[in-house]
Formats: sequence, C-alpha cells, structure tokens
Amino acid sequence: MERNLTHIALFAALIAVLGLVPQITLAAGVPITAQSLGIMLCGTVLGARRGALAVLLFLALVAAGLPLLSGGRGGLGVFAGPSVGFLVGFPIAAFAAGWIMERTTLSPGLAATAASVIGGIGVLYVFGISGLALMLDKTLAEAAFIAMAFLPGDILKAVLAGIITQSLARMRPASLLSRA
Amino acid sequence: MLTLTSPVEIWAHRLPAGGKLAALAVATMGLFALDTPPTLALAGVGTVALYASGGVRFASGGLRLLRPLWPFLLIVGLWHLWTADLSGGGVILLRMLTAVALANFVTMTTRLSDMIAVFQTLARPLGTLGLSPRRFAIALALVVRFIPVMLERLTQITQSWRARSPRRPGWRVLVPATLAALDDADRAAEALRARGGAD
Amino acid sequence: MPDPLPPTALSSRQDGILMDAACVTLAGRVVLDHISLTLTEERIGILGRNGSGKTTLLRLITGLIAPDSGIVRIEGIDPFTNRKAALGALGILFQNPDHQILFPTVEEELAFGLVQQGQPQAKALALAQEALAAEGRAHWAKVPVSTLSQGQRHYLCLLAVLLMQPRTILLDEPLAGLDLPTQARLARRFAALPQRLVTITHDPATLATADRVLWLEGGRIAADGPPGSVLPAFTAAMARIGERDADADLAG
Repeated sequence: MERNLTHIALFAALIAVLGLVPQITLAAGVPITAQSLGIMLCGTVLGARRGALAVLLFLALVAAGLPLLSGGRGGLGVFAGPSVGFLVGFPIAAFAAGWIMERTTLSPGLAATAASVIGGIGVLYVFGISGLALMLDKTLAEAAFIAMAFLPGDILKAVLAGIITQSLARMRPASLLSRA
Repeated sequence: MLTLTSPVEIWAHRLPAGGKLAALAVATMGLFALDTPPTLALAGVGTVALYASGGVRFASGGLRLLRPLWPFLLIVGLWHLWTADLSGGGVILLRMLTAVALANFVTMTTRLSDMIAVFQTLARPLGTLGLSPRRFAIALALVVRFIPVMLERLTQITQSWRARSPRRPGWRVLVPATLAALDDADRAAEALRARGGAD
Repeated sequence: MPDPLPPTALSSRQDGILMDAACVTLAGRVVLDHISLTLTEERIGILGRNGSGKTTLLRLITGLIAPDSGIVRIEGIDPFTNRKAALGALGILFQNPDHQILFPTVEEELAFGLVQQGQPQAKALALAQEALAAEGRAHWAKVPVSTLSQGQRHYLCLLAVLLMQPRTILLDEPLAGLDLPTQARLARRFAALPQRLVTITHDPATLATADRVLWLEGGRIAADGPPGSVLPAFTAAMARIGERDADADLAG
C-alpha cells in the first residue's frame, strides 16, 4: 500500500521536475520541455490507475499555487486559460497510455511508444483541441491547426518515452509496474 | 518552495479560501455568459480595479502572471485582423484575460496551505473510493519534499555525465532520473512503513 | 544524564529481540541463512562488510520485510504483521537521512510519527515544536528540510525517532559520511540515550564500547561475543581479504 502511494507521489514530483529543468536539447539541437514526456512516463511505467493519480496529484499542487507547469506557470489561472483542455487531458492521457501498456504483449519499448502516441498525443489532443476551440471560440478544425505546432515535438517525446521505458524494462524489469 | 502567493499582503488575503474559490467559480461562469464587448469590458475594468486595490507592486505581479498568454493574444489578434472580425476577437481576448486574471487573483491572495485545506475538504467524498484524505495529505507533502531532492539529483547526474563526456547528456539523463524516482519511491515507502505506514 | 524511560517500558523491553532460524532470499540469492539469536544487551553491534546481509538483517528486525522462513519477535511481537505495536517498541535511523525524511518542513517531519501513534495533528505539531525548543532549535520548526545541512538532517531524523519514544533504536551506519565534530556530537548523544541501541556498521571502531558484537558474514553469524574478542578477529580477517584483491569476484 505504501509503495503505491509513494510511487504516485514520486512520479508527480518527476513531472514537476521535468517542467522545471531547463529545456532538454535533443541531438539535433531542438529544445523541448520534457513535462509532457513525464505525463507519458506516468502511464507507461506506473500503469493506468497509478499514472492518472500521479498526474492528478501534480495538477492539484499546480492549482493550489505552485508554479510547476513548464515555464513556471501555475495557480488557478492556468485552468481558466486556453490550454485548460490539455491540463484536463493530462490525467486521461496517462490513464489511456497505462491502459494500453497493461493490455498489449508487445515489447516494452514498442508498447510504450504506441501507448504514448495514442494516449499522450491522440487522447491528449482531443481534450486539448476541444479546450482551445471552446476558449478561443474557434471551430475544431481551426483549433487543431493551432495545436499542430506542438505535434512534431510530441511525436519525438513519444519515441523518447518508448526508449526510456525500454531501458527501464531492461535495467530493472520489476520497476515496470504497468507490466507487473 | 516558491509559491505564486503574492508577498504583498492585501485585504483579499484575509478572506477565507473557500469563499474566494466559490466566488471565482460564479464569476467565471458569469464571464462565459457575457458575449458583447461592452459588458466584457466592464468586467475587465472591474478586474483591473481589483488588482489596483492591492497597490502598484501587487498589480505588476499580477500582470507578470499574464505574460504566458502572449502567444494566444498574438494568434487570436492576427486571426481576427485577417478575418476583419474585430468585435469577435475583442470578446475572446477580453474574456480570456479577465478569466485568467480573476483566477490568478485568488491564487495570489491565498496561502498554499489554505488552498490545500480546501482541496482536502472537497476531496473528502472520494474517501469512499479509497482515496483517504490522510493519504492525499501525505502524498501532497511527499511531492513537495521530493521536488528539490530530484532537482538536485538531476544536476548531479548531468554533472557526472559531463565529467566523463564532452557532449551534453540531453534526454539521456532521463533514464537515470526516472530510475532514481523509482528508487526514491521504494525507500520512501520503507521509511513510511518504518514509522507506521500510510493509513 | 539519560532521560528515564517510563517504568512500563522496562518490563517488555527485557524480552529483547529474538530470531529463530530466520531466512531471507532476495532475487534467488540466500541473503540471510538460518539466523538464530536472542539480543537483550543494552548496546549491541552488528558488524559486517558490504553484502554480508547486515542491512537485510536490519530490515528484518524492524519489520520492513518478513522472513521467508523462521521467526522474528521484538518484545514478543511480530514486527512485520503487528506494525502498531512495533512502532512503540522499535525505531530505526536510516543511514541516509534523505531516505528517511518524508515531509517538506522540519515540524511536519517531526509531527508525522506522533500522528501515526494516534496523536491529533495539532497536538503533534505542538509536541514537535516543544521538542525543538527543548533542543534549543525552536527556530527550525518552519524551515524546509532541503535547506538543512547533512549533519542537521541526520539530527532531525534522530529527533523524529526519539519523539516516538521507542524502547529500542536501530542505527544503520550512524556515523558514515559525517565530519568529525558531527560524529563526536552524535556518538555522545547515542551514548547518553536510555534506549537499547543496535548499531549496524562495517566499521569496528564504532563498536568499541558495545556490550556484545555479532559479526555477520555471507548471511550467517561468523562470531558473537564481547568487542574485545570479535573486533580484533574481524579487523584481521578484513586485512587478509583486502590483500587478496577479492574485489574482482562477482557475487552470486
């Protein structure tokens, strides 16, 4: 029981830390913020339920007034802004990624990449784009067009989530709670 | 840890957090019901007055919190200039800025611990689903405790990488960082158990 | 001057720590192999080098893990299943304070153990502040633990354990990694404690004043007796191993 609780808390902290570190520069010199990678890892490593709870815990601290979203954003204001759909989508994305991870028998790396693409991009964008459309009074197609700016970075992150999950599976098989 | 609560203490700091949250919920719903530029402008002026009542330093702190919205201002602004729908653009931007500013106002005038106390009250019904308020409290504290620990760990990992490599570690630090989070979780579980567990 | 223990504590404490044929296997490797012992002395040392199983022994005694076979009893209770009773009987000071501290501020960390023992939150916080004041550290209460030095964090962990008033305290490498003044201060503090202390270490010097020393090797007890006989034998054996360059061997 304690392990469930501490895993949820430590991964909530991991999401925060990934948003606080300076942007990570990829080999090609493209800087990315790793926060949404943290959301994907919550699902692929912890599994659906624990992953979603970790994200919810993180969001609770953001809403309570800690500037833990990438770029030092936080507080209630971010939930009243145009990106609110992405925030609402975060825990559901982690849940979806974890759910897929738990139910496929693919190798951990492939499964995690697929889970991250479907959960961390597909599911997340459904909520994020709906939020943009609602808050900016645009059609879904128009909102989707705006969101496309983030797509290349997020695809990269899904691949990274796959590589990292694969490494964890190889180095410490028992640590992959989504496959336990 | 640094919070977004304003160091400039104003009258609104003394109001109960639950009341401020309820008022914010009503005000935000009201904002989305308004759809003409004059009414929204009125709401905007009211919000500016709210910030002005806290003095210059408080208000400039509030303005800083709005800065992350600039890409949306730019996109919506250009979009509506292009489509020549200025009043439509005005409604969207006024509503967005006012809604975010009002929410930020509550954050700026409420202590973290008070806000968490309200959340815990709100989360109490979830106790029936196995999410006890006590576990929620322990989990929140654990996150705040371990963020600086993990930040320091990440710095160490980066440094020990750079001590032996001419290249920047980039995303590669994320594997040991995630492993470290898993190890920390195991140790924290043990420490928790050593002192009576989470129930 | 040691603080007096409540009189009720003394009778149950006499039962001490008892293990009968306790075995632990981790990842297919036998880490503890039929350990049987009865510990009733006041100052007990468990000595062993890295990988000897001493940390697993500590976890077993504290009830953090259960034996795969055999029996572990602290004051007659099973520390793994009866956590509530174990808390009053036994406290543990981890080697690395960062593995022990769970809360962001000093007073929350101190209050946690008391809440676990059934005190209401407000009372626990008051007791924590009282304890800090008694140590001349009242100004520590609201301080984030991340700003404390390594020695100060060690001290906080000890204080958190003492607040729960266990009758036995387990110390895991209590002086490792600390500078000499901090070591001296902590050692003095330990010596003055009224509790039974079980010190786990690889450093024989730490155990010179113990009543009884157990030498753990390969998951078994290699020697058991007063420090005067066990410590020189251990030191000589370690020197022999060091000369053999046994570091190249892989465990398993």
